[in-house]
Amino acid sequence: MKNILIVAAREFRQIASMRSFWLTLLILPVALSLGPIAQRFLRDDRADRVIVIDRTGGAEARSIEQRFAADRDRDLLQKLSRYVQRHKYESADPAAPWARHDRWYDEADIARFRASGGLDAALARIDRVKPADAPTFKPPTADYEIVPAPPALAAMPDDRLDAAVKGYLKPADGKTKPVDYILLVPRDFGSSPLVKLWARSEANGTFIAAVQDVLTRDLRSRFLESQGVSPAAAQTASGIAPALAISTPPPGGGAREAMLVRSILPLAATYLLMMSLILSGSWMLQGTVEERSNKLLETVLACISPEELMYGKLLGTIAVGLSMILAWVACGVAAGYATHGVIADLIRPALDPLTSPGTIFALIYFFLAGYVTISVLFLAIGGMSDSMREAQGYLMPVLLAILMPITLLLQAILAGKGGILVEVLTWVPLWTPFAVLARLGIGIPTWEVVGSGLVLAVFAAISLVLVGRLFRASLLAQGQRPSLREVAARMRAGGREVK
Amino acid sequence: MSALSLEHVTKRFDRTLAVDDLSFSVPEGQVFGFLGGNGAGKTTTLRMALDIIRPTDGRLTVLGRAPGRENAPDIGFLPEERGLYRQMTALDTIVYFGRLKGMTPHDARTEGLALLDRFGLGDSARSTIDKLSKGMAQKVQLATAVVNRPRLLILDEPFSGLDPVNQRLLEDEIRRASKAGATVIFSTHVMQHAERLCEKLLLLAKGRRKFEGTLDEARAQLPARLSVVARQSLAPVDGVESCEPVGTTADGWQEWDVRLKPGGNPSDLLQACTERAIPLRRFDERRASLHDVFLQLVGPAEARP
Repeated sequence: MKNILIVAAREFRQIASMRSFWLTLLILPVALSLGPIAQRFLRDDRADRVIVIDRTGGAEARSIEQRFAADRDRDLLQKLSRYVQRHKYESADPAAPWARHDRWYDEADIARFRASGGLDAALARIDRVKPADAPTFKPPTADYEIVPAPPALAAMPDDRLDAAVKGYLKPADGKTKPVDYILLVPRDFGSSPLVKLWARSEANGTFIAAVQDVLTRDLRSRFLESQGVSPAAAQTASGIAPALAISTPPPGGGAREAMLVRSILPLAATYLLMMSLILSGSWMLQGTVEERSNKLLETVLACISPEELMYGKLLGTIAVGLSMILAWVACGVAAGYATHGVIADLIRPALDPLTSPGTIFALIYFFLAGYVTISVLFLAIGGMSDSMREAQGYLMPVLLAILMPITLLLQAILAGKGGILVEVLTWVPLWTPFAVLARLGIGIPTWEVVGSGLVLAVFAAISLVLVGRLFRASLLAQGQRPSLREVAARMRAGGREVK
Repeated sequence: MSALSLEHVTKRFDRTLAVDDLSFSVPEGQVFGFLGGNGAGKTTTLRMALDIIRPTDGRLTVLGRAPGRENAPDIGFLPEERGLYRQMTALDTIVYFGRLKGMTPHDARTEGLALLDRFGLGDSARSTIDKLSKGMAQKVQLATAVVNRPRLLILDEPFSGLDPVNQRLLEDEIRRASKAGATVIFSTHVMQHAERLCEKLLLLAKGRRKFEGTLDEARAQLPARLSVVARQSLAPVDGVESCEPVGTTADGWQEWDVRLKPGGNPSDLLQACTERAIPLRRFDERRASLHDVFLQLVGPAEARP
C-alpha cells in the first residue's frame, strides 16, 4: 500500500506541475464567469424608439403612448411581485398590488400602483422589511420609447414619407440615434382601417399586437358609435376585458422548473465526472506512455510490482480528478456567495436531493466507481502504447464510444424524457455512472440504482483484473501495436509475457 | 550465502528459448561479470532475478530469498535501457526511487544530496531532468541505483552509451560498492570492462552457459602463444602445437610464433629449450585477452554486438 501511495503522490505531482493542468483548471470557472458577462454585453437593453405620425389630431398617438406606459408598468408590477414573493416581503404592504400574486394586473391595479407613488414608494415600503444584505430589486427596462415626430417629418405629405423615413430608420451619419418604428395613422383612419408602419428590422410581435389592440379598440368604438351607441358606452364596450385570476407556483416551484433545478446537482456531477475523467485520464495516459517511451519502466518494476504501479497511477489520477472537481465546486460556492441572490436561491432547491442519505451515497458511489471504470481504460491504452501517436489511435474510438451516447443522454434528461436509450445506458457499465448520476434528479427507481450499481461493481472488478494482466504483460513489450487477438491473449489468465 | 543462485533455470517466450537450463551461483561480495552477445539471455536472467519476469522452469534465490519486491531495499538496479521522468528534479527522482526501495524520505534525501555532490551535480539537484545534459542524467540514473546502498548491485550493460568520464565514474562506483561489501553483477559485451573489474565471469551463448570461472581460468581455455626469437624452429620440442616463422631472418636469427598444446605451460617450454641447448634471444609470452577467449568459446557470430 505504501508503494501505491508513493506512486500516486508522484503521479499527482507530475500532473499538477503541468501547465495544461492549471489552464484546464481555470478554463471552466473563467468560461462560466465570462458567460453572464458576455450575455450582459450582448443583451440589448435599449428601448425601441417609436415615432407616431398621427394625422387624426393626436388622439391615436396618445392612446398608443398610454398603452406602452401601461404595458411597462404592468411588467414592472409583475417583476416586483415575483421579487416580493421570492423574498416574502408581502408584509411591507399587504394591500398593495405587488403584494398580491394571484392576478394578471389590469388597468385598475396599474392605476392604484401609480397613485400610491409607483416604484419608488413601493421600494421604500419594502426597504422597511428587507434585511440589509438582501438583494435589491432591479427594475426592467422599458421595451418602447415614444419619440416626438420631427417637425419636418410630421409636415411631410404621406406620399413622400416612403423615401423620407429611411433617413430616420438608418441615419447615414452614424451619430444620430436611429428610430426603430415609424407609424403613420392617416387622416382618414376610422373610415379606413389602414395604417402604415415602417420598421428598422423585422417588426416585434408584441409591438404589433399592442398597436393593433389600441387601434382596434378605437375602430370598434367608432363602429359602435356609428351604430347609435353613446360615445361613453362605446368606449367602455371596447375596453371590456376579463379579470384574469392567476395561480402560479412561487419562483423555482414550477413542476418542470423544479425538475430541472433538482437535476442541477446530478447533471453537474455527470458533467464534472465526464470532464475531469477525460482530462485526468489523458494526463495519466501521457504519463504512462512517457514511462514506456523513456524506458523508465524496468527501473520502476525492479522496485514495485506492476499491480502496485497500476493502482498507484489509478489513485493518483482519481486524486487529480477529484481535486479539479473540488476546485470547480469551490469556485461555484464562491460565485454563489458573490452573487448571493439568484444563484443562492437556485442552489437551495438544487440541494434538495441531498436530503436523502441514499442519494448522497449513490452520488458518491457512482462517481467513484465511474472514475475507476473509465480510468482503467486509459491505463490499458497507456500500457499498450509506445508513443502518444499510437495512444491516440486507441483513444479516439474509446472517447467517441463514451461521449456520444452521454451527449444524447444529457439531452434526454434535460428534456425531461426517459425512454429506451436512457434505460439501455443505465445498464451498460461503460455509461452506467453517467446515466444513473444524470437520472438521480428526475427520479430513478431504487431497484435500478442498486442493480446497475452491482453490475458496475462487478464490471469494475473484472476490468481491474483483466487490465491488470494486460498492463503487466504489455509493460515491457515493445514493437508493433498488439492485435485484438494479442490483447485478448494478454488478458487471459496470467497474461503471456512478451520479451 | 549466495547473493544470486540459479538452479536449472529456463525461460521461454512463446517459441523463443531465452534461457536454457542455466545454473550458476554468485557468492556475496564478489564482482561478477555476465558476458554474452545480444540475445545470449543476460537481460532475461537479470530480469528474473529482479522478479520483473518469472522463470518457466527452475529455481532462483536472491540474497537467500525467492525473487520479489521485498528484496528491493537490498538491491540496486541499473537497466540497459535508461530513462528518467523528464519533469522531475534530479533530487526528487533519486528520493522517489529511494522511497520505492523502502527508505524514509529524510534518508533518501540525505543520501541523494550526498550522491549528487559526489557526482559533481550538487548545483543541479533541483534542476529538472530535461534541463540536464545526457551525461548528467546518466549520473542521476546511477544515483537512483545506489541510493539505498544495496547489498546486491545489478547492472545491465552499464557502460553502454556512457561517455569516458561517466565510464570511469561507474567503474569507481562498482569498486566502491565492492569495497563496502556489496555483490556486483553486471552484464556486458565489452570485454575490457570485465577484465578490469570482474573477479569471476560467466559466458553465455543462446541462453546456455559456456564458461564460468576466473579471468585466469578463462585465459587457460586458449592455448598459450609465445613470440620467440631463435636460430631454429621449436616445433620438435615437447608441448609445442605449432611454430610458424614471422618476418625474415637477421644474422641467422628468426622470430617464431609458437602455439603450445592445450594445457601447455610456457615455463616447461623454456626449460625444455635450455635442456636442449637451444639458444634464445627472446622469449615473450603473449597472454590471451578475454576477447580472444570469448571468440573462441562462443564463436564470432555470437560475439557480435
